[in-house]
Amino acid sequence: MGAYLIKRLLLFVPTLVIISWVAFGLSLLAPGDPVMGLCADQGILIEGEYQRCARQYGYDLPPFYFSLSPAAYPDTLHRIQPQYRRHMLRDLIAQTGNWPDISVYDQQLEDVLKTAMTMPDSLNRQQKIDVNQTLRDLRVAFKPGQVDYLLARLDSMALFSAYSAYLTGKTGELLRQWDRIKMQATPTLLIQPDWKWYGTANRYHRWMAGLVTGDFGTSFKDKRPVGSKLRPALFWTLCLNLSAFALALLLAIPIGVYSALRKGGRMDRFFTVTLFGLYSLPRFWVATILVVFFTSTTYGGWLDWFPSIGLGTVAADASGWERFWVRASHMLLPVLCQTYGLLAFFARQMRGAMLEVIRQDYIRTARAKGLKEEVVVWRHAFRNALFPIITVLSALFPASIAGSVVLEVIFAIPGMGMLTYDAIFAADWPVVFSVLILGALLTMLGIWVSDLLYGIADPRIRLGRGDRN
Amino acid sequence: MAKKEKKNGFWRARILTRFRGERPAVWSLRLLYVFLFIALFGDFLANEKPLFCKIDGKTYFPILYQYGVDLGLASWEPSLIRARWRDLEYESVVFAPIPYSATSLDTRNTHFAHPFRGQQVKSKRFWHWLGTDQLGRDVAAGLIAGTRIALLVGLGAMALASLIGLFLGTMAGYLGDRGLRTSWLRLVLNIAGFYFGLFYGFISRAYLIGAANLEGNGPAAVLTGLCWLFGMLLLANGIGYLLERGLRLRKPVRIPVDILVMRSIEIMESIPGLLLILALAALIRKPSVWYVMGIIGLVGWTSIAQFVRAEMLKVRRQTYIEAAQALGLRASRIMFRHALPNALSPVLILIAFGVARAILSEATLSFLGIGVGPEEVTWGKLLSEARSNFNAWWLAVFPGVAIFLMVLVFNLLGEGLSDALDPKGDEKGE
Repeated sequence: MGAYLIKRLLLFVPTLVIISWVAFGLSLLAPGDPVMGLCADQGILIEGEYQRCARQYGYDLPPFYFSLSPAAYPDTLHRIQPQYRRHMLRDLIAQTGNWPDISVYDQQLEDVLKTAMTMPDSLNRQQKIDVNQTLRDLRVAFKPGQVDYLLARLDSMALFSAYSAYLTGKTGELLRQWDRIKMQATPTLLIQPDWKWYGTANRYHRWMAGLVTGDFGTSFKDKRPVGSKLRPALFWTLCLNLSAFALALLLAIPIGVYSALRKGGRMDRFFTVTLFGLYSLPRFWVATILVVFFTSTTYGGWLDWFPSIGLGTVAADASGWERFWVRASHMLLPVLCQTYGLLAFFARQMRGAMLEVIRQDYIRTARAKGLKEEVVVWRHAFRNALFPIITVLSALFPASIAGSVVLEVIFAIPGMGMLTYDAIFAADWPVVFSVLILGALLTMLGIWVSDLLYGIADPRIRLGRGDRN
Repeated sequence: MAKKEKKNGFWRARILTRFRGERPAVWSLRLLYVFLFIALFGDFLANEKPLFCKIDGKTYFPILYQYGVDLGLASWEPSLIRARWRDLEYESVVFAPIPYSATSLDTRNTHFAHPFRGQQVKSKRFWHWLGTDQLGRDVAAGLIAGTRIALLVGLGAMALASLIGLFLGTMAGYLGDRGLRTSWLRLVLNIAGFYFGLFYGFISRAYLIGAANLEGNGPAAVLTGLCWLFGMLLLANGIGYLLERGLRLRKPVRIPVDILVMRSIEIMESIPGLLLILALAALIRKPSVWYVMGIIGLVGWTSIAQFVRAEMLKVRRQTYIEAAQALGLRASRIMFRHALPNALSPVLILIAFGVARAILSEATLSFLGIGVGPEEVTWGKLLSEARSNFNAWWLAVFPGVAIFLMVLVFNLLGEGLSDALDPKGDEKGE
């Protein structure tokens, strides 16, 4: 048993690694420029600031240990900053495969941009703005028709504007280089697979190393470490789920046992139908109904039974009790919503497990030897019926954490779900993927604990050998 | 053991009888037919265009005609392209029962028109029986449009999940770790085929796929990539077949299907489903229910695979399978023609509960405002509007009832099926 559990614990590692690939892969697909997200307010347009920020957060590194791409791409593309410039080059290469000429074009464009920035305003301000705008458009243009059009426009500006002294020659060079890119395209390089090795200096490695040491990265939204945001969120989510679990169990055990003992009776039928209805009742609907009708005076003051959403406010000098009371009164409705779904599920499981046990021979024996009914039910039957429930519990706990997302959003509880939801809308990917990894870890722990409890509860179970087939 | 032989007519008839005895299940099946009817004929139940009308001596069937226009077979007359159908002058006209489409804006009844009072309508015929939302969209029409989406997502996602789950579960259960044998040559060629398929299908086409995604053609581009992948695999196996024939390179190698499938199930189950769905749905630039359907389907196959695997482990020891093996039938034929059909009926239970869960997931996602396009009206989206205005109780109540009923229908079906298929069922009738 012990060996099996340790083996399972070791199997966490490959599973977590694969999940980290999924999360990291998704973060690569996420739209938007992470460097802009991280340093948008620090004067990103100042010369060199973007590069500094990219270096600080590791965005000048290649994404992974290796890459597989067509041979047309250079192995240093990731070093080119900012992202839009890199993407333009990437898209140009994808169409022509002619990297040497494209890099020359890129350099020339950069030169012209620098010149255009330093042109004096005094000659013709409007024309200067036009030239700069065209150049900025060229910086992101990768569709041939668009580039042709912009270059022709720039060329005519160079000829006829007040700034022709600054631009002549340079725009001609750009045009010629652009023609060269198109003429000397090397499409064969685009269909040639090419592996590139980068070693451990890559973003994934950094990210993983951070995760292992408990550093989840930096939130795009407020530059705080993700870990410091996760901790209070985890607290509220655990509060919500643990109290709901405890409450659901307290109610489910008597209901389940009672219905099993009086199977087919009126109360059993009542509970079965009610619990089945509750089981099908969407939690977010019930929550919405409760919020709409019972937390405000919209439908008359007599319906305003509960405090409004959120966690409420407590004065800084409030006593511990007062603090607890305010929080608890605000948590009441969400806990209630979380409880009834769990209750419906647990009670059904409890009833089923109890029914299995109660028809066993040893129960008949216990009754036959004249034990009191309470002893038979609680000591002989209930204990054995509890085992399957334990495993269901620990496996369900992580799922319910993920499931409380919508409740937290409706009741404005600042837990993990709310954090994820906000992060998704703010495109705050470090938070989203940290939650994903943390959720996976919790789930695996839950399954592991359920295995452990199963083994403790039922010594007949020998996991690890012969559990297959 | 003989009881497992469910394929013969006696057992099937028995199960049907038992299912018919489950009154809630039978009623839920009837309700499901109603939902299906609404989903299929929703265009004729709620539409701003009339079913039939006569303008200036010309007769039209605008709703039917719209189908032709959508298919590119016909086009509207210029005067009718931007027509405001409710305000036109007709010689005679028959409107749909609810004369509003889910997305049509009734500018006179914006800002949450109450279902019972204060609506600005020409006649009772145009009354919003379930009220309107902030933009003046009819809630009843929205519910009808939502029925279609809920069923589409629920059934579509579960169809996808079942296909994946049945295939992987059957392979893992029937073949185990030792059943799938192939030659080294084939293995190497398949890996090579996968590598090149991945490269030519996706990596070298990354730019094309990205460009198509921006124009909203992402799925088509991804499908083309998948075609490349399968083409390459086919090519690899063709070459393998020829080489094996010619060179007799047949040193066998075993592929541990069971371990591979069980590991992937473990990984899938370790990721909290809703969080994964949220993260995936948030990455899509042009959201639509089709993506939601695909994502829910791709995430939800594990329980079916596990169940089918367990059933297969039992089935493969049966004598009729041994007989089929002795006859020298191919493994794929035995698996999918002989073994799988006998494990199939209990899977229906899982599928019914799965549809309920998928519908709930879709409603949750659209309630959170993730994964639905701006033009799509779903139950979850309608319900979420109640949060912005507590006065509009009709937005809190009606969509919720619809979701509840739909989920209840599929849960009851699952429950009824599991009772009908329960081998212990006979004892219950004692």
